[in-house]
Parts: sequence; structure tokens; C-alpha cells
Amino acid sequence: MIASAFLRQAAVVAKGMGMPDMAIAEYPGVPMVESLEDLQKKVEEELLPRIVSGLTSGSGTTAKAMSEIEPTQRAIVFRGSLEEVNDYFQRRLWSDGLPIIPPTLAKVDRFLQFTDRDPNEVIGRVPVANRLATVWNIAVNGVMSGCRPEYLPVLLAAVEAITDPAYKIEDAGSTPGWESLIVVSGPIAKELGFHSGQGVMRPGFQANTSVGRFLRLFLRNMGGFHHAPEGADKGSIGQSFLVAAAENEDAVAAIGWQPYSVDRGFKAGDNIVTVQSVVAISAPVYTGSENVIEHAEIIADVIGQRACGYWTAIGMVYSHWHPLLMLGPSIAGVFARAGWSKDDLRNYLYENVRIKASLAQRYAWYAGPTGFRIEAEVKKGLLSKAYAESDDPDRLVPVFQKPEWIGIMVAGDEGRNQSKGYVSNHTQGPPVSKLVRLTANWQRLLDGS
Amino acid sequence: MNNRTEAGVPAYDVVWPLGRSAVLHSTPNLPLQDLTGKTIAELWDYVFHGDRILAILREKLAARYPGIRFIPYEVFGNLHGAQQRQLLAKMPELLKEHGADAVISLVGA
Repeated sequence: MIASAFLRQAAVVAKGMGMPDMAIAEYPGVPMVESLEDLQKKVEEELLPRIVSGLTSGSGTTAKAMSEIEPTQRAIVFRGSLEEVNDYFQRRLWSDGLPIIPPTLAKVDRFLQFTDRDPNEVIGRVPVANRLATVWNIAVNGVMSGCRPEYLPVLLAAVEAITDPAYKIEDAGSTPGWESLIVVSGPIAKELGFHSGQGVMRPGFQANTSVGRFLRLFLRNMGGFHHAPEGADKGSIGQSFLVAAAENEDAVAAIGWQPYSVDRGFKAGDNIVTVQSVVAISAPVYTGSENVIEHAEIIADVIGQRACGYWTAIGMVYSHWHPLLMLGPSIAGVFARAGWSKDDLRNYLYENVRIKASLAQRYAWYAGPTGFRIEAEVKKGLLSKAYAESDDPDRLVPVFQKPEWIGIMVAGDEGRNQSKGYVSNHTQGPPVSKLVRLTANWQRLLDGS
Repeated sequence: MNNRTEAGVPAYDVVWPLGRSAVLHSTPNLPLQDLTGKTIAELWDYVFHGDRILAILREKLAARYPGIRFIPYEVFGNLHGAQQRQLLAKMPELLKEHGADAVISLVGA
């Protein structure tokens, strides 16, 4: 049973699951904003007959399979001018609204020189359309996105991350409209020109911008996550793709903190790509004091309380979420000079950012999980006992579920005192990191690019 | 760029940007002839008032089909919660264990 606005998405999902003839019964409307009387009437008069029909005749609104001829890898599917190629790709929903670089064989082959992996190697399966991501089609979409050929190892690692089952990419079209943020760590970031300084999240640097664009385009083309009704993206309002970020590892080393890559379980100096969901971004956090607690207080308030506060309710529903702090280098320096480690900051935030249980419960209900009860999740062991220390509905419960789930990276303007928070979307898109695999002759290839 | 179009501008021969489909096609079970005396499993993702919808459906179906039996959604738990993957993995076994003839799954979003 599905509400009207999701019928086409259901068809895309059913087709991707290999069950295009699955019976689907439509609930005509938006159940969250209708009166009990309207809901009763619609269920009795419209939904019930559809459900009976679906169970007894298999009929309903079915997601009919469409025949599709898949071209061979090196087949030329179209020939035309730049404008004609772009129009052709747009009409087929193979683009993202921006001009693409035509993926010619020569350009794709140039990309493939930057890996020793077989072009046919399957990197993963991309739900919900369930197409196979291969080295070849990653290169094709890299060309289209305006990437340079030498970015290919980073693109491969990013796709490895999003196709890891832990990432739950099948939920990339959920209504909150989250985006994937790519963070590049290690020497590769500098080698490829990834920016980590002032305006790190602003389009403008080719590596950051084109790699960020690539991931959204790739999800459209492989996962079917283009706009509804044709596609599986039901982000109600959504947001633009995020340019990729790099950590300012020089600044991190200078203050004596360990880099983000080590937080992610790798060695300092490893080249890694981390991808995680971002559903909202905090207001800029300006802090200015010689007293480290004053910095922590404002970060806790602006990022923890204001940006994360309500959305923690959805994190509670799924017992998971991984907000990311992007600390300006000067702010990270204040903490480090005061003797604070990243864990100290995480613990401070865990202990000091709280929300009324009743407010979280209420907000979760508004978002849709009408069956969610904090106490029930605690009883099941999915939320810690800190969420049920009393039966007072207005008791304060943690906004951050576990200190270790708070990501901290250092980037942005070295000459300013600003940080920002990136709110993740619970189990959908937790941080997943993959090593960037380089060829033995990488440096020579790079020197010749 | 391999050549020029008839208009004299550069022409591009381009390749397919998608990937091979990995969809494994399944055939749905045959529909039930009649719901009388059948066992219907309720699956709910704990969103969008599915509990209210199921309560109405349960009442109306029971009035129309003698002997119809329901396996309440609570037996299975939240289809879309923190334990979604684990629950889905054991769903075929659970449905067999409870003797389900058919499933009503809601609310899709």
C-alpha cells in the first residue's frame, strides 16, 4: 500500500527489485495531514477495494517492466554536436541539468590509463535501479562531470564507499533529501588539487567541484535517483550536490591532532575517501575567546542544539546518526592549545547538548514515524538508558547518541574563526571510508597528465 | 571529437553512460481465489498512521471474509527501523512460521 505521491517511485523500486508486476494499492492522499474521518473514509471506500483486488486478482497499480536494450560497452549510442549530445542526454535523463562533457571513447580511455583495474570490474550494485557500477561507467560519468582523468582513483573509491551495503544507498531518494559529502584525505588531496581552505565548500576548484558533481550524476544514472515521477528521488525539497572537501592536514599536524583519516581507522598518510550523508548544514559558527569553554558552548548551541536538535529525533528512530563538525583551523587550534583532544570535544557535546524527550518524540511523529516511542527503543536496547532515565516526558535526553559518532575534520579559512556542522541522515549514509588505490606508476602518470 | 556535423561544427561520438542491469526478475505468487479463511500478515514500517489504516482494514476484511485471520504487525516489528536488514533477512522464515497466505505491507513512502 502506498500513498499517491509515491506511486511512480514504487514502480521504479518494484522494477529494480525484479517484481514489476507486484500489486500496489494506492492510498489517495497524504495520510499525515488528513483528519481521522477522512482517513477512515478513504480506507473504506478506496483503499480497501484496491487491497482486495491486489490480493485476489493480483491487479492494482502495477509497475510494468519496460524493455530495454543495453548497448555494449564501446558502442556509440549517439553522434552529434556538443549541444546535440547534451540535448540527447537530457531527454534520456542521463544528465543533471548542467552541460556535460561528451563521453567519447578517447576521453574514457584516457581516464582508464589512471587505473590498472579491468574496465569490466564490477565495483558494486547501485539500488534502486540496480545497475552495476563498473570501472568503465565510473570513467564515463567522470568524463561527463568534468573530472580530470587523474581523478579516477578517487571516483572509484567514492563508488566503492556508496555501494558498500553499510551506506544504504537504496535510501538516497528518501524525502529528507540528503546528499553525499565526499571527504578526501591523504597526500592524494594535494596531488590532485583538492582544496581545503577558504571557501572549501564553494564550487570553483575543479577537483572538489567535479568530483562532487560526479557522485550525484552517478546516482542518477546508476541508481535511478533522478527526480520523481520518472525517478526514485523523492527528496521533498532536496538540496544541490555538495562539492567534495579535503581536510587541511597541514593545519591538523601543526596543532598535534590526528587527521580525520586516522579517526576513520586508517594510518596517517593513507589516501582515503570518506562518504557520508548530509541532510542539513548549520549556520556559520563564529567563536572568539581565549577560554576554550566559550568556544565549546557556542559550537554546542549553534551546531548541536540548533542544527542537530530536531533532527536528532529521526536519529533516535533509527538508533544511528553521524553529524560532522568542520572546524576552522584557528578554532581547532584553540582546542588543541587548551589540551583538548577531539574526543574531549565529542564528550563535551554529548554531555551538554540535550533535547526534551517530548519534543523529539513529537517531531519524529510529525516526520512520519507515528509508531516510534523512545521508551520502546530503550527497552529493545536500540537507544541507551540515557534516553529513559525517568518517565518525565520533558526529561532531557542526548542530542548526540554516542560521542564517537561525531565526526570532526579541520578545513575552511585559516584567517577566520568559523566552523560549521553537517547533519547526517541517521542510518542512511553513515560515514564509509575506502582506500584510494593507485597504480604502481602513479607519479609518472601524474607528471605526464 | 572525431569529425564534424553537417553544420560544420565538431561532432562527438558518445558512449552509453549507464550500467548493465543487475535486476533478478521474480514472479509473484498466484493471487488468492478468495480471502475466506486465509491468514494475512501485516507488515508496517511504523510511519504514516499505518496502525490506524490496518485497524480499519482488519475490521472491514473480517466482516466480509469469514475466518480470515491476521498476523499483527507487532509480531514482525518495524519494517523500516534500526533493525530493518535483520528483519527482512528472516522475513521469509517468519511468514512461513506464522502460516501467512498473503501480506499487506504498508505504508510506502
